[in-house]
Amino acid sequence: MKASIAQYYPGDSAVHRFDPRAKFVAVSALALALFVRDSFASLAVYAAAAALAYGLSRVPLRWFWRAFRPLLWLVGLTFVAQLVFAPGEAFFSVWFFHLSWRGLELAAFLSLRLVVLVLIGSVLTLTTAPIALTDGLAWLGRPLRRLRVPTDELALMVTIALRFIPTLLVELETIMRAQRARGADFRSGGLRRRVRALVPVLIPLFVLSFRRADELALAMEARCYRPGIARTRLHPLRASWLDAVLLGATAAVIAVALLV
Amino acid sequence: MKPRGDAERQLAGPERSSAGMGLACAGVSFSYAEGGERLPALRDVSFALEAGGSLALVGASGAGKTTLLQVIRGLDEADGGAVLLDGASSGDSRYEALRREVGLVFQIPELQLFAATAFDDAAFGPRQLAWPEGAVAAAVDAALEVVGLPPAAFGGRHPYSLSGGEQRRLALAGVLAMRPRLLLLDEPFVSLDPGTRRDLVAILQRLKGDGVTLVLATHDVDLAWALCDEVLLLAEGRVAAVGAWDFGAAGAPLLAANRLREPFLVELWRRLGRDPATAPRDFAAAAEALA
Repeated sequence: MKASIAQYYPGDSAVHRFDPRAKFVAVSALALALFVRDSFASLAVYAAAAALAYGLSRVPLRWFWRAFRPLLWLVGLTFVAQLVFAPGEAFFSVWFFHLSWRGLELAAFLSLRLVVLVLIGSVLTLTTAPIALTDGLAWLGRPLRRLRVPTDELALMVTIALRFIPTLLVELETIMRAQRARGADFRSGGLRRRVRALVPVLIPLFVLSFRRADELALAMEARCYRPGIARTRLHPLRASWLDAVLLGATAAVIAVALLV
Repeated sequence: MKPRGDAERQLAGPERSSAGMGLACAGVSFSYAEGGERLPALRDVSFALEAGGSLALVGASGAGKTTLLQVIRGLDEADGGAVLLDGASSGDSRYEALRREVGLVFQIPELQLFAATAFDDAAFGPRQLAWPEGAVAAAVDAALEVVGLPPAAFGGRHPYSLSGGEQRRLALAGVLAMRPRLLLLDEPFVSLDPGTRRDLVAILQRLKGDGVTLVLATHDVDLAWALCDEVLLLAEGRVAAVGAWDFGAAGAPLLAANRLREPFLVELWRRLGRDPATAPRDFAAAAEALA
């Protein structure tokens, strides 16, 4: 069973080895810059940059497609909505549908921008282990600690949650099988019946999760975990010249995209 | 999974015969899909167990014991080969109904308890099979009685208010309430105190006496030896040995090679200079033989 939430593709490419903080900053900057100019040319620059990152990461296209496929309907919806509702001189009208060249252009642009956005974002999630990502975010969020935001604790919570998703999925599968062995049927009947069929699955799953959370908390305390104190890391985040290259290249891409 | 028809419901109904079910596997293979790859878990597993027989399923961790039980119950479909229940395979019209008469007790089954009362939890299976409520009550009461949780005292208790051993027995009752003719048990003795273990052995002896076919996957060779007439040793998904217990020149090294050991009473017999093949199944028989 696969956790489709974290679609990390393990690897050892340059893109994988970038510091998660640098990657997060670069991707955020690109995603924001993407919305500054409405031009096909700048879109092409961002797309080329993302494609280059993909090439370097050696992530199989199949993996990108798997991440992208669920968003396809959103892209389609954006395209259709723009096509139908955009202003402009109609060259074709039926009832309240007015197709215009302006609308067609706008629809193409906005849906392509969405595609490029997903492309850029998924470079980050495909090449960065979720735990490295939370570590990086915790570091970036450190200034918030002055405002008494418990950033390290939040990062730990996210890390633990991510760590237990696969475990929970395995347990979910086991409980569903056990109830199926007792005659439960999750695949037939209307919505109401299917939702009701989940009760014998969800109750044991919740009970198990709470028990596990209790035990984990006790085990952490037994190993001297205390919130709010400084602690060292087994794998400290280390930025290298590669990360400077990444940030420099990102700045260059944005500059080119804003100028073309 | 096929939708349940009324005819099938009747076949799987509460008033069927209570004799055991014959089980056979013919060249069963199964592999798990893992990130685009196939991980073989069972390879060409073949054996036959007569109705009312008892088979211990042993082997090192990861040998395929749990997978085999789940394939027999039909929770996983075999990639190749066939599971035969009373001689019927998956193409047979009787098969779906027969499959409902196969009870599977999962590892740590008390994790699946969910209902508000012990009675309702044990009644989940029979109610899913749409038995009339009178038949459900009769089957559940009988099952609770068998596992030593008299319905008058325990039927109304909340499952989570029961002790660990009682929860395990309640989970077993939930399977027994469906009146299985073939009972598959996956490590039923794990993390039980010795008293509950003894109770569970007595329950299984009683079911065996009633003619229910038993397949018991376990690491506990002493209990396997006490309960099961035959043994199937799995090694990396293959049948390493199957049939009557064998502690001779061929069998003994196989057990050691698969991270198992001889049952205590067999080793005792060997150390006493007696023939291990004549070793007793329990202490009473041992005491009698030594008297």
